Amino acid sequence: MTLNTKRTAFAAASAGAGLVLLLAGCAPAGTGGDSGGDSGDGGSDTIKIGVLATSEGNLAFGMGEAKAAIGVAMEARGGTVDGGEVGGKKVEFVYEGTDGTSGSAQTKVKKLVENDGVDIVFGPVSGDEGEAVVQYALTTPDITFVNGSASPVSMTLEGAENFFRFHGDSAMWMGGLGDYAYNDKGYKKIYSIAEDYSFPYDNAGGFFSEFCAAGGEVNGNSWVPVGTTDYATILSQIPADTDAVYVGLGGADAASFLSQAVTAGVNKPLVGGSIAVDTTALSGDANIGQAAIGTITGGPVPGADYDNPDWKTFVDAYATQPDAFPSPSIFSILYYNSFESLLLGIEDVKGDLGDGQADLRSALEATSWDSPTGPISMDENRQAVVDNFLVEVAAGDGGALTLTDVSEANGVKQGTTVYDRFDGCP
Amino acid sequence: MSILTKPTDSGLVEPLPVGTPQKSAWQRYRWILWVVVLGAALAFPYVVDRPRFWIPNIGIKSLWLGTIAMSLVFLNRYVGLLSLAQMTLAGIAAYGVGYMVVTLDQSVFLAVPVGILVGTVAGFLVALIAARTKAIYFLMITLAIGQVVYSFASQSIEVTNARRGLAPIPRPDLGVVDFTQLHIFYYGALAAAVLCYLLCRYVAATSFGLALQGIRDSPERMSALGYNVNRYRIAAMTFTAFIASIGGVIMVFDRAQVDPDVVSLSSTLDILVVAVIGGVGSLGGVFIGGIVLTLLDNFAQNVTERYMTLTGLVFIVVLLFAPTGLAGVGKQVVRALSTRRRAPQAPTAPDVPTPPGITDPSNERKQQ
Repeated sequence: MTLNTKRTAFAAASAGAGLVLLLAGCAPAGTGGDSGGDSGDGGSDTIKIGVLATSEGNLAFGMGEAKAAIGVAMEARGGTVDGGEVGGKKVEFVYEGTDGTSGSAQTKVKKLVENDGVDIVFGPVSGDEGEAVVQYALTTPDITFVNGSASPVSMTLEGAENFFRFHGDSAMWMGGLGDYAYNDKGYKKIYSIAEDYSFPYDNAGGFFSEFCAAGGEVNGNSWVPVGTTDYATILSQIPADTDAVYVGLGGADAASFLSQAVTAGVNKPLVGGSIAVDTTALSGDANIGQAAIGTITGGPVPGADYDNPDWKTFVDAYATQPDAFPSPSIFSILYYNSFESLLLGIEDVKGDLGDGQADLRSALEATSWDSPTGPISMDENRQAVVDNFLVEVAAGDGGALTLTDVSEANGVKQGTTVYDRFDGCP
Repeated sequence: MSILTKPTDSGLVEPLPVGTPQKSAWQRYRWILWVVVLGAALAFPYVVDRPRFWIPNIGIKSLWLGTIAMSLVFLNRYVGLLSLAQMTLAGIAAYGVGYMVVTLDQSVFLAVPVGILVGTVAGFLVALIAARTKAIYFLMITLAIGQVVYSFASQSIEVTNARRGLAPIPRPDLGVVDFTQLHIFYYGALAAAVLCYLLCRYVAATSFGLALQGIRDSPERMSALGYNVNRYRIAAMTFTAFIASIGGVIMVFDRAQVDPDVVSLSSTLDILVVAVIGGVGSLGGVFIGGIVLTLLDNFAQNVTERYMTLTGLVFIVVLLFAPTGLAGVGKQVVRALSTRRRAPQAPTAPDVPTPPGITDPSNERKQQ
């Protein structure tokens, strides 16, 4: 019986191996290597744009925000979220939802390019997805990729010549804050506590590189896992002579850190990472709210009193979109700025995607326009040079907290450092 | 009744052929089925309209999902242990390959064996801890170990490059076999999956496999017979870690990168879903599960934006109506048809004597 099984198995295995070798000799059409899809039809009258956004997981609202952004830009041109006419060409959208993980983004981007035959990929939302999409972009040079809101520094440093990012990376989101903290706020020594993954590395790296260059000193770093609820040991490590504490924690974690800091009597000014200050989470408790007032932070979202007519136009147009939030989230702002940049590029070349989309890419590289959040231009890595906002937590109406503009850093450029976990200054 | 016992030609000769040809017909049917399935798998890259989408997104992904799920099914079917660490072990193998290729800049000739070795050794270490437990405790320990590995992978910059992961891990061009060609990589993955399947079948039929099944049915009795139950379980888990590692190696070259996502809870659950949809009792059924999951992953959004909900519904429907998985549907249908075919005979001819081979209840049970 065993012998029999062995013989059958061996026969089957060798027959299978033979067939594999036989079939491998002749390739099916269009599978040679990884060199791009078959959709680079410049003569076609329709431009297909594949949109990647999160529709599952904890960023599930990403798709709604992406559609709101696309809706604002398309309605200004007489179109809708389903399509319209741009630069004399018909524009169509294929929406693909992901769950925010790299695996999901890989599957969906492949589907958009290879199955739906899109000419341009627009997205994704999260940093994990972004790094996966850039890796894919490197293997498909015929398709143009426009980033949605993914912010890892490394994405535009990979050398993908078909990949464009029309907003700042997570280090640039701190642009100007280090100087402001040292010179205007007078913080000389800052203790750093941040979550232990790539986004806070870049975010905190951006802040401390500027802060240290200005003459500041880091008198301790704590890297904690995401979702940490007990900060007692860290609070006790904060030196008494520190001038401020840098809080590179996500909104909920930042709120629990602050509540424990209030209880422990640690009363230092705070510098927040770009995702630390969630006014809703901080408004819950009067004591915590009081302690949060004066926290400074930076990012691509302007404060409530930002005075710019383009911004007001955008906010009003955004409010008419279905499923819009009371005010635009960071995702709708970044998706809008990126998508509008893309549409301007398409209009510039009058919808001509011929010659491997070379003209479109040149137009995108030369992008320069006044977005709702300030001027956007491009550097040589196809990474935007943008304005960055420095905001401060202030008491608003009825005890709720708001963010007010304290300063703007104009023309923030990307550095070339991809930050890792660091001790002291990065 | 007296007619029945009377040794007539119709009474004695008929029952014998009734049993034997039915069995051989089923076996012949199975062989045809396997030939058809293998033929379809071999022809797959040539019959799909967009091979550059179908080969990686459906074909290759189904193969690695299936191979990893097969290791889970082997452990469940022959050892009676439900392990949630299989995806973790595959991920460790993938990290092994990634570390060799990206960090140490080694060739794939070295990276692949090292990856498989690392995954298998990790399986052995997991087994040392987990084999002492059974049932729900085993499940929980393997799940916990998976989460530990996930946390480690998300934070260890030196080894796994934390959340950024290790990339790029390109498919190699080995000269004779050029794996950068999608269809060749697909056939390579197919060959690996088929060999894993045959290896599992072979191991199950050896005396080692028989001892495992004995342990599954009654560990106490096997222990009393002198078998070291723990050692057998550890050996079985190490073997399935080897199978899972092969799946992990296919995965890492399919994805061209490895990051903590591959050892996350949702990936672990994907493997469980694949195994359950395919059938936790069927080694080959896992590939049906893999195909169903990848199709849902890619096309459920044409139906609804909440594609994960649809995947969940399919999972529930399969559990409700095909508890043995989609691989068991064929048998279910055959059984349903045969009972229906038999059902009308009973009321129409209650007094007419039927051959004993069909009405004898004990015989009926044996046929099933």
